Amino acid sequence: MTSQENIIAIDSGLPEFEDRDKQQTKYTTCYMCACRCGIKVTVEDNKVRFIQGNPNHPVNKGVLCAKGNSGIMKQYSPAKLSSPLLRKPGTERGAGEFEEISWERALGILEKRLAKIRDTDPKKLAYFTGRDQMQALTGMWASQFGTINWAAHGGFCSVNMAAGGLYTMGHAFWEFGDPDWENTKYFMMWGVAEDHASNPLKLGLKRLKERGAKFVSVNPVRTGYQAIADEWISIRPGTDGIFALSMIHVLLKHQLVDEEFLVRYTNAPQLVVNTPGKVGDGLFYRGAANSDGTEGKPQVWDQQRQTCVDGTSADCSPALFAEFITDDGTPVRTAMSILLEKYLDDEYSPEVAAKECGVSAADIERIALEMAHVAFKETITLDIEWTDWAGRKQSQFIGRPVSMHAMRGISAHSNGFQTCRALHLLQIVLGTIDCPGGHLAKPPFPKHIPPGIKPAKTNIPNTPLKSPPLGFPTCPEDLVIDDAGKPLRIDKAYSWDAPISCHGMMHMVISNAVKGDPYKIDTLMLFMANMAWNSSMNTAQTLEMLCAKEDDGEYKIPFIVCSDAFNSEMVAYSDLVLPDTTYLERYDTISMLDRPISEPHAACDSVRTPVIEVDRDVMSWQEVMVEMAGRLNFPAFKTATGDRRYKDYKDFIINFEKEPGIGFLAGYRGVDGTKSLRGEPNPRQWEAYEENQGFFEFPLEPKQRYMRHANKDYLELAKEAGWGGSTEQIVIEIYSEKLQKFRLAGQGLYDGPMPSEEHHKERLVKYFDPLPIYYMPLEEQRIDRDEYPFHAVNQRPMFMYHSWDSQNAWLRQIMNQNYLYMNRVAGEKLGIEDLSWVWVESHNGKIRAQIKLMEGTNENTVWTWNAVAKRGGAWGLSDDANEATDAFLMNHLISELLPAKGDSGDKITNSDPITGQAAWYDLRVKITPVTNGETGSWPQFSALKPQPNALQSPKMLSYATHKNVNIIRRWADTLFTGEKHSSNKAQSEKVSNKSIINGQTPGDK
Amino acid sequence: MKLGLVVDLDTCVGCHGCATACKQWNTSGTIGPLSDKDPYGKDPNGAWLNRIRTYEVGDTPNSKTVHMPMSCMHCEEAACVTVCPTGASYKRAEDGIVLVDQDKCMGCNLCAWACPYGARELDPAQGTMKKCTLCVDRIYDQKLPENERQPACVLTCPTKSRVFGDFDDPNSQVSQLVRDRGGKQLMPELGYNPVNTYLPPRNKPAVEVYKVTSIKQSVKTWVNKMITR
Amino acid sequence: MHPAFSVLVFTVLSGAGYGLILLMVIGHLLGLGELQDRNLLLSGGVLSLVLISTGLLASTLHLANPKNAWRAFSRFKTSWLSREAVFAILFYPFVIFYLTGIWSMGAQLNAIFVAAGIISAVLALVTLFCTSMIYASLKTIRQWNNALTPVTYLVLGIMSGSLLLLAVQSIVAGTVSSQLQQSAMALLVLGVAVKIIYFFWIGKPSGSTIKPATGFTQASVRLLDQGHSSNGFLNNEFGYTVAANKLLRIRLLMLAVAFVLPLLLLLSHNSLLFLIAALITLAGLLAERWLFFAEARHVVRLFHGDQRV
Ligand SMILES: Nc1nc2c(c(=O)[nH]1)N[C@H]1C(S)=C(S)[C@@H](COP(=O)(O)OP(=O)(O)OC[C@H]3O[C@@H](n4cnc5c(=O)[nH]c(N)nc54)[C@H](O)[C@@H]3O)O[C@H]1N2
Ligand SMILES: Nc1nc2c(c(=O)[nH]1)N[C@H]1C(S)=C(S)[C@@H](COP(=O)(O)OP(=O)(O)OC[C@H]3O[C@@H](n4cnc5c(=O)[nH]c(N)nc54)[C@H](O)[C@@H]3O)O[C@H]1N2
Ligand code: SF4
Ligand code: SF4
Ligand code: SF4
Ligand code: SF4
Ligand code: SF4
Ligand SMILES: [Mo]
Repeated sequence: MTSQENIIAIDSGLPEFEDRDKQQTKYTTCYMCACRCGIKVTVEDNKVRFIQGNPNHPVNKGVLCAKGNSGIMKQYSPAKLSSPLLRKPGTERGAGEFEEISWERALGILEKRLAKIRDTDPKKLAYFTGRDQMQALTGMWASQFGTINWAAHGGFCSVNMAAGGLYTMGHAFWEFGDPDWENTKYFMMWGVAEDHASNPLKLGLKRLKERGAKFVSVNPVRTGYQAIADEWISIRPGTDGIFALSMIHVLLKHQLVDEEFLVRYTNAPQLVVNTPGKVGDGLFYRGAANSDGTEGKPQVWDQQRQTCVDGTSADCSPALFAEFITDDGTPVRTAMSILLEKYLDDEYSPEVAAKECGVSAADIERIALEMAHVAFKETITLDIEWTDWAGRKQSQFIGRPVSMHAMRGISAHSNGFQTCRALHLLQIVLGTIDCPGGHLAKPPFPKHIPPGIKPAKTNIPNTPLKSPPLGFPTCPEDLVIDDAGKPLRIDKAYSWDAPISCHGMMHMVISNAVKGDPYKIDTLMLFMANMAWNSSMNTAQTLEMLCAKEDDGEYKIPFIVCSDAFNSEMVAYSDLVLPDTTYLERYDTISMLDRPISEPHAACDSVRTPVIEVDRDVMSWQEVMVEMAGRLNFPAFKTATGDRRYKDYKDFIINFEKEPGIGFLAGYRGVDGTKSLRGEPNPRQWEAYEENQGFFEFPLEPKQRYMRHANKDYLELAKEAGWGGSTEQIVIEIYSEKLQKFRLAGQGLYDGPMPSEEHHKERLVKYFDPLPIYYMPLEEQRIDRDEYPFHAVNQRPMFMYHSWDSQNAWLRQIMNQNYLYMNRVAGEKLGIEDLSWVWVESHNGKIRAQIKLMEGTNENTVWTWNAVAKRGGAWGLSDDANEATDAFLMNHLISELLPAKGDSGDKITNSDPITGQAAWYDLRVKITPVTNGETGSWPQFSALKPQPNALQSPKMLSYATHKNVNIIRRWADTLFTGEKHSSNKAQSEKVSNKSIINGQTPGDK
Repeated sequence: MKLGLVVDLDTCVGCHGCATACKQWNTSGTIGPLSDKDPYGKDPNGAWLNRIRTYEVGDTPNSKTVHMPMSCMHCEEAACVTVCPTGASYKRAEDGIVLVDQDKCMGCNLCAWACPYGARELDPAQGTMKKCTLCVDRIYDQKLPENERQPACVLTCPTKSRVFGDFDDPNSQVSQLVRDRGGKQLMPELGYNPVNTYLPPRNKPAVEVYKVTSIKQSVKTWVNKMITR
Repeated sequence: MHPAFSVLVFTVLSGAGYGLILLMVIGHLLGLGELQDRNLLLSGGVLSLVLISTGLLASTLHLANPKNAWRAFSRFKTSWLSREAVFAILFYPFVIFYLTGIWSMGAQLNAIFVAAGIISAVLALVTLFCTSMIYASLKTIRQWNNALTPVTYLVLGIMSGSLLLLAVQSIVAGTVSSQLQQSAMALLVLGVAVKIIYFFWIGKPSGSTIKPATGFTQASVRLLDQGHSSNGFLNNEFGYTVAANKLLRIRLLMLAVAFVLPLLLLLSHNSLLFLIAALITLAGLLAERWLFFAEARHVVRLFHGDQRV
């Protein structure tokens, strides 16, 4: 049956429902969250009729989540900002008194301020961005401006996952890799509630279950994904590291490791100098330095030649285990030998681990052996010929179909980096990295370990930075500190507090800037970050800090600029507010230079193009960035003759080249649009994307799809595409010499910068273990665990994106109040009743919240949905909206500093000591019932004002794009038909044999 | 024809995607608008045709979480239709879809009283009864591409936990699923004979444990293999 | 179930109106001495019409879209509400014809008018029955879905009608009909008996539970999340909950007001006290109807977490 054939029986009585001539269908990319699904939007009279998933899109393949389906109510939110706002002279920050100003004036104010900073001391501009998707642009803008004080939200989000992966295997969990949903047979999910791959994860889980693969979930809470897991491991928060390492213990004990994988693809056989207490201890034993002065290659013991050889060379036969003294008298042993000795220790036995993490010893042992069974007895092979890094032909890909995914349940702890490495190590010993059925990288990953960018250190007026503000330190020399060892960045990233904080530390900016530690800044510029509410730790005090003044009456942070699309809590605390467009109104790129939307087997990027005409005086931040860059004369934004180079954002995207042939968009390059990945600018690139439904997909050849860290064809493609710097093998680092260098600095054994303060030394020695370790999260180490008996963590609700969606009339009906969830048995022990109000207290403060008892929560844990609480009046909500009166924010309890103990640790950031990742989930609390019948959440904040010219929030909403076409029941039918409608049988058959509403091939019967 | 949905409780993660897809399609669809009272105020409350509820089955520590999306079951014995005095509610003879003619409904709520599944909600602005239409205005609209002639909730479900089809056709995907997975009706004892059917959670897949023979305790006992790099 | 005030008023007033006319017509046509009076019959007839009409008007108040109320006559074939509406309207011409007869001819009617009287009495009974069947036919509410519902509606309608008839009779005639008085008392006793049986009956834990509702019959089932934070239509309509001890108190009060107190008043021979008795009964029956709703537990509650209904 052709698609044109009429499937409605002529007299079916159905009216024509929609006037399609009035409707248009446009493709763009969803931005109700950072998953970046492709959407197909039906528009009628410049109003959105329907948003559906684009079935052709690589990310979501036609499906949409609850948020994506509620885009209409985001577009029509009364909280949308409608023109630039300037804080009224004489009013206080936070009062929310604004005057509307023109864009010309707003841009003028900004230009003047920024020009002066750039002229004098560029680092006085601190530019931080929240849950954005354009870090490639904002980062480049900051470099051009010349400030080192730029970062995105990664530091408080999941840098532990990024760094844990990038410093181990060159790709990562988070947005950098995916389980091989099609082939995996055993899948472990660690600490994930929703994550960025929102729809892909769900599609993947369905595929797993269809195929009968096993899905194990490790999470203190059983909701959402965990509800459909075949096995739920109710772990005690913060202890995943010991669980994983104990499983490694079990595998090692039984010699169940993929030795070939370890020898060929990892640094396990490399020789490590074993001279405890001496300079150089724990570093690789290297060959002679190269002629260009770079250090020599790490050595391995070649079993054939019975000598040390270059460990990166092909065709040697390295010993996995060895301990000896080299010819030059250096005691060495292989990394693997160290690993074996370490993890076979009783400290990692299931019995000991069980006490810490609450998973029984039997379960630890069983799960390890189940994975070993699947990896080694259910191996899959794909008979695809491929070429390894050394140019040798291989006849097949060997797949060990065990895979994992992990996110913030791991990352939001101060031991998250090492835990994340422990998970990767577990995958590595099982040989399941980038192989069929394993954990696959997504282009442009994997990269060399780590990617070869170093963080910028210097600030010179009117001069771009020499390198990007953020990069990947590999040794203490790379730290962004001055000669005295003091931090150079406002967030103290890359300082001894958190040396490998490669996403910056946004959660420290306000606190540091207000203290003037390490120095004062002039302007704080925030894009898409609600720092006055849910993305700050310690929210109540943060609000005070934002309003803190010097003795002379000047604000401690003199000028705050924010770009927001909505009347968020942050707006009221800004001096200049630049209203953004909505995602349906703007041009945007989701670039391979940023976080990829690629699939494991295809390099992908995409665009947003407007589907709705703007009806307010707003401008996209992209446009503002390009405009400011032009006005401020950034070198990359002017021509050789000093003229402005890019007319606008669209023009910039097409014509900007990072290196020859490489731009923001990888598709449809070359003058005629025929080149992919690399090619000259194409003046019709936007149109080409629009014609391809807003995305570009470059499938890898089958031979390039696996083992990419050692796959010649892939590595060559990656180099050509600008994803990687060289075609050398990416050697997986189970043993991190980079960490060891920092540790040596802590031990005073490093030939380079070393910390002077005791607590820094101690932290480096304790936590910078070159092999993954488990340690108790820092907050837990510093509080009285009996006084604060519960862990308190958050989860993302699947239908809300941080603070964005309480303004959404549909989504907030699903949830406008969060509860403090607690295990029923634990609650009953404390005499806490369901739905009663309680005080929740941490070392940092207390809040009042309403309890919900449930079964599926670890007995030592309480939790809540993140960011449901809102301030009255913000987001177009009424002052008495449930979000303001009954919902609560956990953030008040979480301090940006470690619990005070009266020692040098008091002023240290509450973050992972290695990466600076904010330790949101280290929180410990005590819970007591309210005594005098108080209800409602506490603390309460005065309601915020609606913006001038804000749309009135209606009392009743009946959204529709056209008058609804009702199906009218005929009179005769109404009056005379009985209950059974049997009289219409004939008609029933007529319809049924023509229509097919069934199964997979509609219309095909 | 007997059209309806199969909902897979083994894979539904309770994301509410189907609920909001339903809301956005149908608010401009044949039964719309679906109004919302106090959308930005205290206790917002609107008309929805599909809601997701979450249950915990069993006691700590042996319990399970189950997400249960519920929309109209398009019952064969649809008492909601029987009781309707105006004739606004009816069950289509052609395909069994139960609909409410918005022009005829007087908003007496009686049909909602007669429905055991909470499938009917009164529109707070219009005063007429709203309910799942099985997206009759999608599945029969030949102007939509064929693969989109599916209910909005089915198209959108990210775990593909909702399947639409003809239960009268023994070879349809829905009939097969019901057979293979032991599909269940909710509250069958009431005798409404609901068409929508729920697939219960599956049993855990069995994974073997690696049979271990020896235990190695140290480096010494591990013999290096000759592996070429 | 959420008790809608308009529905309480409707069922109580129209029930009393139908009971009144029913008894009056029967008494009149069977030749009960005290009822062979033109003024009395007219007064009773008009009162019943007023009650019925007020009730019917009140009933439209709970319609969310009253402009379509007229369509309620369409589904006589299946809908008890439609049938109720049809019979309620059909009743009017007959009763008006009957009353016109009385107005023009006095208590002695010819056959056509007698027939009209009989038909209106039958229609009153049928309408009352239809009303009760609206509730009794709902399988979703076990407290309603039983034979006691029509019995209650009929008995209480006739009972309240009998009290009104007695009051009207005694006021208009100035004397008391002992037959009417005794039958009213008997009906009060019957009424209270029916109600007490009903309370025992619904007290039996026989309703559905959350287990078959959700399909998990092997273990305990608890609601974790109803899918929306604030209450919606279903919660408001079906989730109405009153504390058990409060219900008990209201039950006792209701029995006292609707039955016991009027019974005591009927022991007197004072028409004013009869009137008061009738009015208190109506008030008591409002409470009875309120309880009828407040104690009814719709199965949808199971999906919202109730363990049983
Ligand atoms: N719908 C929606 N999607 C989102 C977002 C959103 O706000 N809404 N936010 C996006 C952002 S910015 C991020 S960073 C990602 C985060 O996505 P997720 O990683 O899914 O983050 P969370 O929701 O914080 O979930 C953390 C999970 O870890 C569990 N957990 C907590 N502590 C531990 C622990 O110690 N061990 C283990 N094993 N589990 C633990 C929690 O119970 C929770 O289930 O989601 C992104 N996607
Ligand atoms: N307690 C607790 N706190 C947490 C977390 C937690 O798990 N627990 N998670 C942390 C994590 S991982 C993250 S990533 C952060 C997220 O924190 P943020 O990124 O700061 O917070 P969001 O709520 O996502 O929103 C930021 C702002 O973006 C604005 N916005 C939305 N759309 C647009 C747009 O199109 N243009 C512009 N210009 N602005 C827009 C919103 O109005 C809002 O004000 O929260 C952190 N905070
Ligand atoms: S997961 Fe949902 S909100 Fe996020 S991009 Fe996809 S459809 Fe949009
Ligand atoms: S969209 Fe699918 S997974 Fe999500 S709640 Fe609905 S049925 Fe469940
Ligand atoms: S589910 Fe309810 S509304 Fe739907 S057909 Fe059955 S009884 Fe009627
Ligand atoms: S509310 Fe409308 S559809 Fe429902 S029974 Fe009344 S008239 Fe019929
Ligand atoms: S079939 Fe259509 S109307 Fe029914 S629940 Fe699904 S989306 Fe809603
Ligand atoms: Mo995040």
